[in-house]
Amino acid sequence: MTRAGNPRLLGYSVLAAVGLLGALALRRPELAIVAAPFALLVVVGTRTARDPEVQVALAIADERTLEGTDLGVVATVRAQRSVDRLELLLELPRQVEVVSGDIVRSLRLRAGEERELEYTLRCTTWGVHELGRTRMRACDPFRIVTWKATGDETRQVKAYPSPITLRRLVPPIETQAFAGSQVARVKGDGVEYADIRDFVPGDRVRAINWRASARRQSLVVNERHPERNADVVLFVDSFVDVRGAGRSVLEEGVRAAGALAAHYLDRRDRVGLVGFGGVLRWLQPGMGTTQRYRLVETMIETGVEPTYTWRDVNVIPARILPAASLVLALTPLVDPRFIAALEDLRGRRFDVAVVEVDPIPLVEPGHTDVERSAYRLWLLEREVLRSRLERLGIGVATWGERDLETVLEEVRIFRRSTRLARV
Amino acid sequence: MAAVAFLALVAALVLGWPSLVPVAVAVAGGFYALELAIDHAPLDLTAPAVAVGLLLAAELAYWSLDEREQAVGDPGEGLRRAAFVALLGVASLLVAGVLLALVDGVRARGLALDLVGAVAAAAVLVTVLVTARREPPQA
Repeated sequence: MTRAGNPRLLGYSVLAAVGLLGALALRRPELAIVAAPFALLVVVGTRTARDPEVQVALAIADERTLEGTDLGVVATVRAQRSVDRLELLLELPRQVEVVSGDIVRSLRLRAGEERELEYTLRCTTWGVHELGRTRMRACDPFRIVTWKATGDETRQVKAYPSPITLRRLVPPIETQAFAGSQVARVKGDGVEYADIRDFVPGDRVRAINWRASARRQSLVVNERHPERNADVVLFVDSFVDVRGAGRSVLEEGVRAAGALAAHYLDRRDRVGLVGFGGVLRWLQPGMGTTQRYRLVETMIETGVEPTYTWRDVNVIPARILPAASLVLALTPLVDPRFIAALEDLRGRRFDVAVVEVDPIPLVEPGHTDVERSAYRLWLLEREVLRSRLERLGIGVATWGERDLETVLEEVRIFRRSTRLARV
Repeated sequence: MAAVAFLALVAALVLGWPSLVPVAVAVAGGFYALELAIDHAPLDLTAPAVAVGLLLAAELAYWSLDEREQAVGDPGEGLRRAAFVALLGVASLLVAGVLLALVDGVRARGLALDLVGAVAAAAVLVTVLVTARREPPQA
């Protein structure tokens, strides 16, 4: 620990000096008597003060948690030498709040004594948070000398996004070859009825539709849609984040992406991730529990790294965007680079849908007429942008006050109508 | 002067400026010195009480400023500190009393004694400063 003077040290030294000099100048021994206790306190205090050599170790109950869930933390404080007053401050990141326990504590420790301080913390948002940074200040009994130290032995806590319940997802237009839960548009072996056709040699007898055959006076067989899996790529906009009033569009976008990934994976779909922003993060589509953890681990590292360079989809490796995959974008539709990437993907015949994480409630209209006019123009531009994307066949639904399920339903409705229009 | 000292102490406590505490105590001490200089009393027997009073005022003011940190302490911490400050007051009274007895015992006057006093005062100051600056030996 680093030794530092207490305000008393300077104050009492000055008082002792003034008293003694006053005694000499005025030839009054009483002033020296008055100054004597101050001088004595400084001498005794500085001579007896010893570095207490305090160590703090932080134990976290679980290094992986969900946002909004309580997390138990125990700080073990140990002093080599006795310390009359040890003030301990546990510094927490902005995204971590205290549920119980005093973040600033003062303790009295005997030599070799160990104390455990229990805290209950809560990660208010997902992400990787560093805990364990402490600030300590120890005083001797006379409070003449102070020892200061900073504990930098940090531990990482990964807070995963809280789950969002979804009953229905955005179905992809095309399916892949593997079995899954998505009814394919093609015909083949499956459960869902598709059509009937004339019997050809080689058809199974059980596929014959006897009623239809009786009516037609010739054998017809049922055709069915097979259940297949799909490739879904979650395309997260990390160019910009709009924050305010305890909300962040990036945080909500990643939270939604986590929920969508979990639900698509439950349907045996292959899910990939592209974090498109200052730093490009990607994860090749895959399925299963391992992929779920990979996705979440990649997502919680998402952050905004400012960049002024132009980025387009050419920087994304081709294997990350398989053919006939559904690209589901989560974006506030603020950065033109991300919008251009969406248009580019659509131009390359990808099945693109957009969940717009609404930034409008977080933007102040301004106070002057010019500011308010600019705000209205910005809103109009956003409307134009949405309709431009929709003209390209990209379903856009705004996620603000409504729940995510309603928003996805809006995308589904749009995609149904666009498919009909194309036919 | 007493009012100035009081105001300085109140300002130190309200504004949270510890550097004003010695100023307030020094002003109060200055008032006592002025009184001694005007009265020309042979030897003021209340000097130990004044010393203890000033020390306690300073200690309590610093303690009050320490409490602004809002650190939650162990139960009984306040009582323990109060006992320590009281003990400090008693010890100061004893020291000041012994010094007063010594001063009262030495009745001699003259240039030589003044020189001895000046050297002693300077030695005390140097000792205080050196001790305050030097790192104590680690046990």
